[in-house]
Amino acid sequence: MLNLLTTNQLSRSFHQDQIVQPLDLQLSRGDILGLLGPNGAGKSTIMRMICGDLAPSSGEVEICGFDLLQQPQQAKRNIGYLPERPPLHPDQTVDEFLADCAYLHGLKKAQIDAARSAAKRDCGLEQSGRRLIRKLSKGYQQRVGLAQAIIHDPQLLVLDEPSDGLDPAQIRQLRELIKELATDKAVILSSHILSEIQATCNRVVILQQGKSVYNGDITPAEQTSYRLGLEQNPLESEIAALPAIATAEQLHTDYFMITLEPGYRPSECLEQLLGRGWQVCELSPASRSLEQLFLQATTGGLQ
Amino acid sequence: MSLSLAWIEWRRLMRTPLAWGTLALCVCLLSWQFLGTLESFSGMQTAHRELGLSHHLSLQLYGLAAVLILLITPILTARLFSETFRNGSYALLSSAPLSNLSILSGKFLAVVGYLSLLVLIPLLLCLTLFSGTDLDLGLLLAATLGLLLLSTTFTGIGLYFSALSENPGIAAAASYGTLMLLSLLDQHTEASSFIHWLAWPSHYLDLQLGLVRLSDIAYFLLLALFFLGLALHRLDRRRRG
Repeated sequence: MLNLLTTNQLSRSFHQDQIVQPLDLQLSRGDILGLLGPNGAGKSTIMRMICGDLAPSSGEVEICGFDLLQQPQQAKRNIGYLPERPPLHPDQTVDEFLADCAYLHGLKKAQIDAARSAAKRDCGLEQSGRRLIRKLSKGYQQRVGLAQAIIHDPQLLVLDEPSDGLDPAQIRQLRELIKELATDKAVILSSHILSEIQATCNRVVILQQGKSVYNGDITPAEQTSYRLGLEQNPLESEIAALPAIATAEQLHTDYFMITLEPGYRPSECLEQLLGRGWQVCELSPASRSLEQLFLQATTGGLQ
Repeated sequence: MSLSLAWIEWRRLMRTPLAWGTLALCVCLLSWQFLGTLESFSGMQTAHRELGLSHHLSLQLYGLAAVLILLITPILTARLFSETFRNGSYALLSSAPLSNLSILSGKFLAVVGYLSLLVLIPLLLCLTLFSGTDLDLGLLLAATLGLLLLSTTFTGIGLYFSALSENPGIAAAASYGTLMLLSLLDQHTEASSFIHWLAWPSHYLDLQLGLVRLSDIAYFLLLALFFLGLALHRLDRRRRG
């Protein structure tokens, strides 16, 4: 499958400081990648480099097979970008602004009306077409920013803090919209809100001081933590003494969180538990929450 | 794509009260000057008329038009980059399939397109006299060409300073300063010196007098290209960070 976005050792320095350390990304259709990291981690800088707003110090960006530096115009036709601050012209009406954006992205006059109507419908702006942008609320301005990013039906959507300024109902609508758009596109979004990323994305890159400290699925494939339920109530140390179990932590009376020794499978663990004469009522994978993942990654526990 | 952007920018400019207010003000001031020139010329005794009406119009009417363009251009150009840098809307252009050259030339053409409307006002005023008097059309067209070249040069200078600063006020002030300097460089300098050559009034005066010389046209175009080149360099630097 063709990668809609490929970055190869993409990095950025300002003066002597390395703001973004070499980053490799591959996104294909259906991927929703969340960029997560504390303030100043380099999320917006990565997005600006992917959109051609900022040149990388080294490395390559390829959008739909077009090199962003060698064939910028072909590459940029496939990008829809919503920066942190929506790029709006406050003295225009929503309709005028969106028509200009469509025209800028090379849409023909005959296509503009249909594209504008679709973008307005997707972003809930049907009633706001004749209103001046500066008279809209922050949430509606954010919607106009999103509408300009999708009006030309790009293959790659880059959204920097898209839920900023939206109320909870609008945030939920936005999540649904992003998931709907991602069926035939790739989406990158950044957010400070962990639950936002968890609810929307299927992949995450966690950044710490410009370095990618985790790049993968939101729930890692390599599962080593399990929730164990027993009919008996043994001591943690008794459970941890089994060869297949590395650690055991009592959650409450009969329930424990266990981690397996490397190389052991859950079935082997189950055999050993039953071998001790304990009756097992539950052994299920304990999904690591994004918050745990984020804290582990940014405090150095996960590389 | 430059033309698409020029069209968008021109339309955006024409939707502002500033554009229409400036045009209306220019029509009033130039009409006032036009009538004043006619009145003073018709009041002169024939023996005192060293120059014809066409020359009077090209010197006085086109002289005022040049001053108006000098005053208006920095206000128009200052917002074109500075304001978009400041409010973040430049990202619309930098992430669109446009090169820096297309962005710059689009904005340049939009302002020159607007200033062309101002350039036409003196010519249209003069053309109203054609039914009643014999005017030197070649002279008036030369002066119009001068005004157009002046607009391109001033726009190039204004765009450079706009690309240099995120503050439209500073961009406008820097443009005014440079334009004033270029207006005064021919004072107290030797006519053959390079500094004297850099001043625009003497080049413009030639065209006002009907002398269409390649050296004068080259002066205006070279100065415009020089500042546009600097602006392009600035935009590239900005993208490189």
